Amino acid sequence: MAMITPTRTPVGEGPRRRADVVLVASVLALSAFGLLMIYSATRLINERRGEVASFSMERQLIFVVVGIIVMVVFSLIDYRELRNFAVHLYVVMLAGLVVVLLFPPVNGARSWIQLGFFRLQPAEFSKVITIVALAALLSTQRQGATLLWKLIFRSAILLGVPAALIVIEPDLGTTLVFPFIWLVMVFAAGASFKQIGWLLGAGALSILGFFRLGLLEQHQIDRIAVFFDPSLDPQGIGFQLIQSKRAIGAGQLFGLGLFEGTQTNLAYIPEQENDFIFTAIAEQLGFVGGLLILVAFLVIVWRLLAISANSRDRFGALVAVGFAAMIGFHVFVNIGMTMGLAPVTGLPLPFISQGGSFYLTMGMAIGISNSIWLRRSPVPGEMYSG
Amino acid sequence: MKYTTRLGVVFTLFISLFSVLILRLWFVQIAEGAEAVTLAARESSIDVIVPAPRGDIFDSQGVLLVSSRYVPAIWVDRHFVQPDQKDQLIQALSALLNQPANDIATLYEEAGPNGRFQVAVIDTVKAYQVAEQLRDYPGVSVEKIPERVYLLGESLAHVIGHLGRPTAEDISASPELDPDTRIGKLGVERVYEAFLHGTPGVVTYGLDAGEITSTVRTTAALPGDQVYLTLDSDLQRVVEQGLREGIANANQIKAGLRARGDVSGARNEVVRGAAVVLDIQTGAVLAMASAPSFDPGLFVGGLDQTTFDDLQASNAFLNLAVGGLYPPASTFKVVTYMTLLEENTPFPAETEGVDAANKVVHCDGELQVPLTDGSAQVLRDWYGNRDFGWLNYHDALTNSCNLYFYAVALGIWQNYKGTPQENLIQDQARALGFGDRTGIDLTGEASGIVPDRALYESWRELMLADEDAPKLLTEERLAAATPWFGGDLMNLAIGQGGIVATPLQVAAAYAALANGGTLYRPYVVSRAVSVDGSLSYAATPIVIQEVRLDPADVASLLTDLNRVVTVGTARQAFEGFGSSLSQVGGKTGTGQSVKAKDNHAWFAGVAPIDNPRYAVVVLLDEGGSGGAAAAPIGRYILQYLMGEELDPITAGQLAD
Repeated sequence: MAMITPTRTPVGEGPRRRADVVLVASVLALSAFGLLMIYSATRLINERRGEVASFSMERQLIFVVVGIIVMVVFSLIDYRELRNFAVHLYVVMLAGLVVVLLFPPVNGARSWIQLGFFRLQPAEFSKVITIVALAALLSTQRQGATLLWKLIFRSAILLGVPAALIVIEPDLGTTLVFPFIWLVMVFAAGASFKQIGWLLGAGALSILGFFRLGLLEQHQIDRIAVFFDPSLDPQGIGFQLIQSKRAIGAGQLFGLGLFEGTQTNLAYIPEQENDFIFTAIAEQLGFVGGLLILVAFLVIVWRLLAISANSRDRFGALVAVGFAAMIGFHVFVNIGMTMGLAPVTGLPLPFISQGGSFYLTMGMAIGISNSIWLRRSPVPGEMYSG
Repeated sequence: MKYTTRLGVVFTLFISLFSVLILRLWFVQIAEGAEAVTLAARESSIDVIVPAPRGDIFDSQGVLLVSSRYVPAIWVDRHFVQPDQKDQLIQALSALLNQPANDIATLYEEAGPNGRFQVAVIDTVKAYQVAEQLRDYPGVSVEKIPERVYLLGESLAHVIGHLGRPTAEDISASPELDPDTRIGKLGVERVYEAFLHGTPGVVTYGLDAGEITSTVRTTAALPGDQVYLTLDSDLQRVVEQGLREGIANANQIKAGLRARGDVSGARNEVVRGAAVVLDIQTGAVLAMASAPSFDPGLFVGGLDQTTFDDLQASNAFLNLAVGGLYPPASTFKVVTYMTLLEENTPFPAETEGVDAANKVVHCDGELQVPLTDGSAQVLRDWYGNRDFGWLNYHDALTNSCNLYFYAVALGIWQNYKGTPQENLIQDQARALGFGDRTGIDLTGEASGIVPDRALYESWRELMLADEDAPKLLTEERLAAATPWFGGDLMNLAIGQGGIVATPLQVAAAYAALANGGTLYRPYVVSRAVSVDGSLSYAATPIVIQEVRLDPADVASLLTDLNRVVTVGTARQAFEGFGSSLSQVGGKTGTGQSVKAKDNHAWFAGVAPIDNPRYAVVVLLDEGGSGGAAAAPIGRYILQYLMGEELDPITAGQLAD
């Protein structure tokens, strides 16, 4: 893994001048590409609604611009300040997750705080803040030693509170992200394979408990059932899956061409501009297009892990690993779900899916990561000083 | 473990996960992709089937009997119904159409994903309401569809038939059938389905964003062929009127009998009857009626179960003319008559009241049939103790003397018993079409029975071999050396016993006798004409079989049939017939059936005598006397055929 080793860079004062060009370029490319795809998936629907064809795309463009500003701002802020504010951020986050439950449900879920033009989704921001808080907690133990069970339990509680609040909304997809991020971060922080094994076992038992205690909503159980057999409900949940696989299949090697997707244009696939955006990509641009997207995401994951390896301290290293896990998991579940590999959970595709809170969250993650990169140690050996 | 190693593990995990995605993507797009392309392409357009109007049906004079009109119907196309709109849509339709939501939901499910179905035929007011209220539901449309119109109502219903939804078997037999279409279920509608149905058209619409944006291709619906019947609707009206009045007349007779305290034949109300008129020279059916009838129009909008059950219970759907089996009774005497003349069969010797040499019989109401043990069995005739004197075959037919025809059968029995010639009467009957379906182009034809030794022996074998077999023979016959008795042949000679026939068979037999021996297959459709005006079907008379009859014997029979209406059993019924009385002939019949509450009344007639064209047969189920109840209907029909003034139907003579 020579790719993820500390990089020798010129020694100088203050932050390094150059951002992580590959990371930022990949993110901007995916964002621009996402705007194009949102346009292709929504132009006809918007026309039918009497809006201009580019309505959805323009709205997303605003978020992308704000997101880029957020990226720049967080790049400039010293990420180590976040550690000092980790507790404050965590409390504000919990408050947000409680406040959201007071709002009337939309489509059966209380996930949004209405702010006029913008509907804030605290759950999205909680991902970044929880990662920061986890990193702050886990970095209290020195690198090199096996992680203490005590720390693992404390981190579990740290993560469990927001996760539980999000389950109540309910937002199954987001809830699933938390355990995954946690496992990756705990492992990076020094947990042994044996400890990971215990945690996986406990996780399996608690999932069983979820079903037994009836904590899952019926539509969530349905979604899981349909994941295993889409034909159970060919007009409902399975409908999305069948139509999605059909559209992706139609793309073949080079795709049907931009704006040419029959399924895409027919609006057969609900939520296409959101969770099922990859369907539109694969239908219009084919296997080659889909492969390029996946490669771009893999590059981003690689860069985040490389940033982790280059971090000046253990806090930054763990934050970057958490972001890598967050983005990688979103990509896997989102794209997997369009092809029937993962249940339909409603996790968006980073940088591409339509959605403001999520894009801003991703912007924060990239900005913080870049800040870590900019403030990496000039001497390869000078790592994990914190 | 070094930190970079841990990161390496994490990166490996993501490379693995992403590799799974890439493999899956390859599988879905490249390996399975070809299949998906056709599915996707299919959904860029939809085919909408345009139902074809069925062909019109005309009578022989070109009078329109059955047609089609366009009516608004409400359709749902599931292509355009989003899954989450389904329940709301069904509720809205249910409220608007006043139909149970469950029924609509069933139709919805049966149509299948992306299916299209017809919810209901609606009137114009409803059509506007639908357009107004269901505007917000994509996939709901009001379209004009062809609907059958039966201009005659109940008249001619059994010949024309009716339509119905295709059954599961119909659809598996011809998968291209649209489940919303209607197909013929009875009569001409069914037999000529292939001509009448037409070819549905297809409109292929281009879709964009789930909305129809263009018409890609239109294949026009091709209306079905126009079918012309051999029947004449004016004659049909007269026949049906005659049957209706005749049934009323028969009930009046019964009321009279009851008033006089004679209830033996008056226990029932007459409700069922049939009449048929054949063209003697071709076999074409000129009129055919069966009572009770039904209105085929009831099936158009869908028949409710109660109405259907009531009609079913009254046998309204049964075409008695082709499907009703009755002992032909004295109408069958013409067959025995012709056997005697053609075969010159010997008469019984040493029988009191029978002059074997001169072939005359003393018709005084009683015949002493000598039995093998030396004793005699006394057979009685229908007219009681009246004495007609010594009758030859002419007078025996005219007066329907049973004793004479018993004697003919007894002669055959005594002389030919056990030889092939013992079946002379049966052979004659079969040559004239008894005992087998005529093969008429209608549904529900029965075949009838001509009994003989072989048949009874086969029944006995069947009964002896299988205890559960139907009880076709009595215990007495099973115990006897042979189940076929001389008495059976004697019964057959007067059309009783085991023989049963349909009114159509009797008519076909009379037609064959009158035309010199050619048995034609009766038919009701003369031709079919396709939309472009070309002839798609043309009926030609089909000869089932020909029997060589001596023209002198035919002439003799026709003369005697005329005597039946001038001086014989139908004299009273034909009184005041008109100047053409000399040109009409007929035979009455009064069929006895063990299970019936009263005798079945028959009349079989032919006209004109000099150049026979029309064979007329009338049957009243449990109608009583043929002379009193059936002959007056025959008279009414024959009056019309001969161009006479029509007299209202009144009772004829209470004769056999």
